[in-house]
Amino acid sequence: MSLQLILIIAFSGAFITYLLGKLSHRVRDYFAVLVSCALVVIIALFYGKSVGKTFYLVFLDLPLFLELNTLSWFFAITIAVMGVLSIIFSLSYIKGKERTDFYYLMMLLVNASMLGIVLSGDLVSFYIFWEIMSWSTFLLISYNRGPALAAGMKYIIMSVIGSAAMLIGILSLYTTCGTLIISEIAVNITSASSGYILFILISFVIGFGIKSAIVPLHTWLPYAHSEAPSPFSAVLSGILIKMGTYGFLLIMYVVIGLKAFLELGSGLLNFHYILCWLGAITIVIPTFIALLQNDAKKLLAWHSIGQIGYIILGISFGMSLSVAGGIFHIFNHATFKALLFLTVGAVEYRTNGVRDLNSLGGLIKKMPVVFIGALVGAFGLIGIPLTNGFVSKWLIYKSLILQGQPFLAFFALIGTWGTILSLYKFLHNIFLGQLPEKYKNIKKAPFSMQFPIIIFSLIIILFGILPGIPLRVVNTIVTSFGFESLNVNLWGIASETGALNTVNIFAAIIVAGIIVWLIFKAGRKAVSVAQDDNYAAGAYVPPDKYHYTVDFYNPLYRMISPFLRDFVDKFYTKLAGWTRNLCSGVRRLYTGDVGNYVIYIVLFLALLIFIQLNWSIW
Amino acid sequence: MNIIGIVLFPPIAFVIGIFFIGLSRRIMARIQWRYGPPIIQPIIDIIKLFSQRSVSHGIIFGLGIILSLAGSIVVVLFLPLGKICPISNSGGLLVIFYLMLLMPLGAALSGGEAANPNTSIGISRKLILALGYEVPLLLILLAVMTYYKTISIIEIVTIQQSMGWSLVSLPLLLSGIAYLFILPAIMGVRPFELIKAPQEISSGPIVEYGGNFLALTTIEHALSLFIGIALFVNLFLGGGGIGSISLQLESLLTSAGLGCIVSFLTGIVFFIKMLVVFVIVILINAVYPRLRVEQAIKYLWKWPTLFAFIGLVIVLIIRR
Repeated sequence: MSLQLILIIAFSGAFITYLLGKLSHRVRDYFAVLVSCALVVIIALFYGKSVGKTFYLVFLDLPLFLELNTLSWFFAITIAVMGVLSIIFSLSYIKGKERTDFYYLMMLLVNASMLGIVLSGDLVSFYIFWEIMSWSTFLLISYNRGPALAAGMKYIIMSVIGSAAMLIGILSLYTTCGTLIISEIAVNITSASSGYILFILISFVIGFGIKSAIVPLHTWLPYAHSEAPSPFSAVLSGILIKMGTYGFLLIMYVVIGLKAFLELGSGLLNFHYILCWLGAITIVIPTFIALLQNDAKKLLAWHSIGQIGYIILGISFGMSLSVAGGIFHIFNHATFKALLFLTVGAVEYRTNGVRDLNSLGGLIKKMPVVFIGALVGAFGLIGIPLTNGFVSKWLIYKSLILQGQPFLAFFALIGTWGTILSLYKFLHNIFLGQLPEKYKNIKKAPFSMQFPIIIFSLIIILFGILPGIPLRVVNTIVTSFGFESLNVNLWGIASETGALNTVNIFAAIIVAGIIVWLIFKAGRKAVSVAQDDNYAAGAYVPPDKYHYTVDFYNPLYRMISPFLRDFVDKFYTKLAGWTRNLCSGVRRLYTGDVGNYVIYIVLFLALLIFIQLNWSIW
Repeated sequence: MNIIGIVLFPPIAFVIGIFFIGLSRRIMARIQWRYGPPIIQPIIDIIKLFSQRSVSHGIIFGLGIILSLAGSIVVVLFLPLGKICPISNSGGLLVIFYLMLLMPLGAALSGGEAANPNTSIGISRKLILALGYEVPLLLILLAVMTYYKTISIIEIVTIQQSMGWSLVSLPLLLSGIAYLFILPAIMGVRPFELIKAPQEISSGPIVEYGGNFLALTTIEHALSLFIGIALFVNLFLGGGGIGSISLQLESLLTSAGLGCIVSFLTGIVFFIKMLVVFVIVILINAVYPRLRVEQAIKYLWKWPTLFAFIGLVIVLIIRR
């Protein structure tokens, strides 16, 4: 079996799905699920193997290669699993909407291009797949038209700027190293000066930073995530923005190398230290902005930025524990954030597109499975023990504290509290409390929506109790970067300075829970009452909206909201305005009158003659 | 030994916590020139509540409380009480920090199901207040962990036995003072009684509970009192140790084959320390009125945070 097969199946599957859609929608749906399942199986078969450079094409006289190692396998399997579950969720979500064939084509194309990115063995194919991904993402974000079109436009403009920065880096690498094959660049770049490495890193950090939405480059994300169709929001937040972090890992640890990366700069102005602080800022500010949101998907979108902060902090801190935590968090965030977006998608599907946190409520009685999914996802995002999010965050915190960086750890830990507050509001306002009159007859979510939700919940809990399974893969990646190996066992990490044993915690919680439940059962059985049968201290209980959900943290909002405006977004909007004015000024030159153009040519020639006469350059 | 510890620990913590609740009512009554209820009144109340009728608003209404109480039992197991420490080597302070989240989250989920505005207002205040005191608390915990270069709470206690209490060691002095400032907020007593605020939102999160729901909430309250004070005693007052004399005494007794007496003695010392801290907090509770939410946050983010911040900077400079 070869690597080309994966890409052939992925890309051809996308187009065949589109063509099948012209015949029959049912066949197309089955085929799309089949293709994405096949990809999961094939990639899973590559577990533990690494495939060297595989030549597949010549482009512009450059040979293109594919390559598979543990790092790319880790990403590829995440992409494939996310792909199949989001496609299954789409089956009922997208049914009956317009342009469904196009939707499936783009979903599969995004998956295929992401697989292409992680399997690329050279920077040209990397760049080509990157661009396919960017453009198909743009088409999917603006699938719903209306405000989605503006969100997509914002995304693609920033994305193009990022790609341009990356292209500069790639071209510069080509002129210096004479090759674009990643493994050869890694050898050739060791002789480069540190100034040059800094230049390369900055150009790539801009490119990857825009995709993964690090704080000054994040402004496209909240709009794009909230306007995209929900299954695609799951892919977008789950794995697509992680392509940026894949790029970071690639450029920092594979191309430039651990030693050169950590030694760039000196003292407090060390490059990786600055990146760590960028990560810390990326955790705190977006997490607290998320607290102020009233749109369920926008709230989750801001948290995506915040969680990217943890990943960036982990991988750029440059200790084996923190890098392992960062890489593990990439996978974990993919699972729980995708889960949360899918639960919002299910709610949105049943309530005809309502995702305003102030007008929902009480849906737990109508959609219990979706609520459980949301609860598990929220616990994962917060990092409660027994979810996988806890393990990865624990790794990051531990290495920050033991390396004497308590302030970075403080930012990371306080982000947890921002997450708790906003995620509780999310759960409370959608699922708990009073069920509004208009949602009395809502049905539970269809099976094709419940299935991915259940699978994601199971993954989160399984890897929270037995984190050793994924941590072994992560450990292989970390050692391949040149870090020391971690002492991984099935239930966590063994070490002298504080071990982690998730199985103990699991047993303790289960036993304690059972004991408490037995005590609870010993008392008299409770009588179930209607939701409006409340103790109101003598006040009248109105039959309709009585519950407190709007402005849930009002005293806190009033205190922190003046500090949490998105200044960066305002600056960019202003910059875009200036550029537009400048360009429309330039456009006035093109009057459409031939006479004017003749004058321009004559003036230009006169200028050339003038220069030649004065300074005789030519 | 470990199994006995695990079985005995939560009941001991419960008894200490419930004793504190009874004692606090007694002290408050004395300050107000009343006799007050007998010290075992909370236990009588719990037994009575189990036999009373209650109403339920849904599954999460009950499960939330169970989660909250189970969470606090597990946290108790992670805290060393004197020499006894059942499973505290499974992840250290970071695990305790995260397990402590289960208590407010469980209670909040349960209360949210009730659809009573008093409950929701109470929960919203509870979470805001938690965010408020968590800022200085995290800085304090980080200062301790950075100073002792470990995330294991047992090691922190052991080191204090040879180096002296954290509270009186100069680098951690400011952090300790900041912790004392926020202790009433962690325990939810006046001036930070805004979560329950009986005169204003009719006891907030627990307004809908009755019967066994209320009984479990009372047990949880007792355990969280224990946790709040025990954490402080472990981190800043040297746990069950009384300095270097105790070390000599300990080795003497252990060599004489009286290991369990050592455990018992350290437990007693631990309890006395907890009692002193608790009485101080109750005296504060007796003389202060209740703050508003904004005032509470402003207070917590001003002096305690400043002290904790400077404390952390000092620790960093010393440890460099």
